Amino acid sequence: MFEVRFHGRGGQGAVMAAQAFAEAAVIEGLEAQAFPFFGAERRGAPVRAFARIDDQKIRIKSQIYRPDMLVILDESLLDIDPVGDGLKPEGSAVVNTRKGPEEVDLGVSVRCATVDATAVALEHIKAPIVNTSILGSMAKVQDLVSLRSIKAAIADRFGERLGPAAAEINAAAAQASFDRTKVGTCKGNREIAHREMWMPNWQDIPIGVTLPSGSYGKVNVGPGSSWQNMTGTWRTSSPHYLKEKCIRCLRCWFSCPEGCIHRLEDDYEKWDFRYCKGCGICAQVCPVNAIEMVKGVKEW
Amino acid sequence: MVVKVISGDHAVAWGARLARVEVVPAFPITPQTLIVEQIAEFVNNGEMDADFIPVESEHSVMSVAVGASAGGVRTFTATASQGLALMHEMLYAAPQIRLPVVMANANRSLGAAAGIWLEHNDSMPERESGWLQCYVENNQEALDMTLQAFRLAEDHRVMLPVMICLDGFVLSHTVERVDIPDQAAVDGFLPKYVPVNVLDPDDPIVMNPICPPEYATEMRYQLDRAIDSAKIAIKEIDIDFSKRFGRSYGDLLDLYRMDGAEYAIVAIGTAATTSRLVVDRLRAEGKKAGLIRIRFMRPFPKGELIEAVSGLKALGVFDRSVSFNSYGPVFTEVRNALYGSVLPVTDHIAGLGGRDLTPEILSKVFQVVEDSMEKTPERDVYWHDLRGDM
Ligand code: SF4
Ligand code: SF4
Repeated sequence: MFEVRFHGRGGQGAVMAAQAFAEAAVIEGLEAQAFPFFGAERRGAPVRAFARIDDQKIRIKSQIYRPDMLVILDESLLDIDPVGDGLKPEGSAVVNTRKGPEEVDLGVSVRCATVDATAVALEHIKAPIVNTSILGSMAKVQDLVSLRSIKAAIADRFGERLGPAAAEINAAAAQASFDRTKVGTCKGNREIAHREMWMPNWQDIPIGVTLPSGSYGKVNVGPGSSWQNMTGTWRTSSPHYLKEKCIRCLRCWFSCPEGCIHRLEDDYEKWDFRYCKGCGICAQVCPVNAIEMVKGVKEW
Repeated sequence: MVVKVISGDHAVAWGARLARVEVVPAFPITPQTLIVEQIAEFVNNGEMDADFIPVESEHSVMSVAVGASAGGVRTFTATASQGLALMHEMLYAAPQIRLPVVMANANRSLGAAAGIWLEHNDSMPERESGWLQCYVENNQEALDMTLQAFRLAEDHRVMLPVMICLDGFVLSHTVERVDIPDQAAVDGFLPKYVPVNVLDPDDPIVMNPICPPEYATEMRYQLDRAIDSAKIAIKEIDIDFSKRFGRSYGDLLDLYRMDGAEYAIVAIGTAATTSRLVVDRLRAEGKKAGLIRIRFMRPFPKGELIEAVSGLKALGVFDRSVSFNSYGPVFTEVRNALYGSVLPVTDHIAGLGGRDLTPEILSKVFQVVEDSMEKTPERDVYWHDLRGDM
């Protein structure tokens, strides 16, 4: 059995990647399954998806804890999530990064492929949706599923929903990514920090699971926890405010789903980057392009 | 104390009034209608200082009840049949948030072919909801249990909603002698509600947050244990009630002529009343028959039941509803509780959809049970008063 765990952010298409990978395996004549982990899915939030491949019927319906392969659609997750947790030392990884494999530290030293999948996606799809690009790189590090099958699966999944043109573009992204992928060995120096979770016994759960504000263990829960748990860590691109262009229409202030744009006394805006998740809605609604989305977790 | 000749529904309404209920969201449905009508009248006359909130459906009834209770006020409502079914979704909120709402359910059959008459197939499925569930036998008990239910629900060891089930028409619309306790005596028995958790803008808490898998098992187990621990409170409350009012309803079980009994039936609600008559007749004939009335389906009196049947040679269970293609729900629970015992237990289904349950039918039930002491019964479930062969 070959098990893959995908780490991405909401909107990058991790679930779709896992499904297309499973479909490619089926095209190869193998058995496969793919499934997401459903949590608080929001654009930008860390998400996980899983795929299993085998030459026999797969008789397990639980999550994957000891993957043979790791696929990381967003490099920034390395610093937020213990992504390398459980990865088999004889396994492999694919990371979307500009770095070479030797510069990446997953906490487990494995055969590693790197590619700037975001650049590939922007070139081909004109959007930072890296799922099809990363699939091309996956074909390079394992030999269970060929690039040919992966392209066939992409054509099938995208063709059905978005038409043959979209299918072709996405297949081309996979091919480009395959061509640009560098394979080497990543570092295993990083300590895989397990996230602190509040894990109470049943007797310790407050009656009615009613939470006053405070911390349990080292985790902040209840009202007020948002003051400490900052959704700004989800950001992969940041809004850059061009004050001189701003006509103070307040549309951005009104539309920001995180409420992190503050209105100053003179009606100019101020950003609270602790909570800005980089969704870009503010930039989209601005009538005079006074907000530009810039790649990275920059603060302005 | 005043004596009145009133219906079971009115007895429940009196219970709510004496309990000084503060919020009553309600939607009328037969055979519960008399409860909300009477409460509306009490409120209108200034005899009850409650907010009566007529809403557009039972789903909203329970939503309002949950909201009011979360706000820290004593909350009561009543329903029946399709109304209870419509509440089903919201019903699950109160136990998990541990809100002590009390609700009366005037049992009535559910579903097509439509009927307004007595059956327990409306409340039985809600055993899974986390509500405590009590089945009363007469109008006096309907009133008294409304008072006891609030004490129980609000007990800080319990903090769970309580559903009081009373047989539709047979109790809801039947008048009987009912002693109405004095308000002062009730106030002594049932002090003002002191919530454990209350929504207060000045001291915010989260109620009913998203519960990820990491906490779900523990949370559900906590509720499961809370329901079980209500057993202690039920006993204590009934003892205190009997001291103050001179009426006692026994434990989770109410045993009738079980001393020296060789065979007995288990019954809930008003089927127990007629069964008492049958037991008396059988005893007069020298037969050693007895009756076990289950008062609470939740918490289910497992240990008490095992104890009560020790010494019996045969047991029957009377069910006024059926889990299709299986057994009656009471039977399923009883036989589960007795797992491993060699006692022959048979299920007896009758009185469905308002079909009258006569002493003759119950006599036949007892006859089958008596026979099963000697020879293995033909089947484990008997439908009585059925035209055509089983
Ligand atoms: S400031 Fe803009 S990018 Fe940031 S969360 Fe609000 S709308 Fe999204
Ligand atoms: S939407 Fe654009 S113009 Fe309007 S207030 Fe925001 S930045 Fe200024």
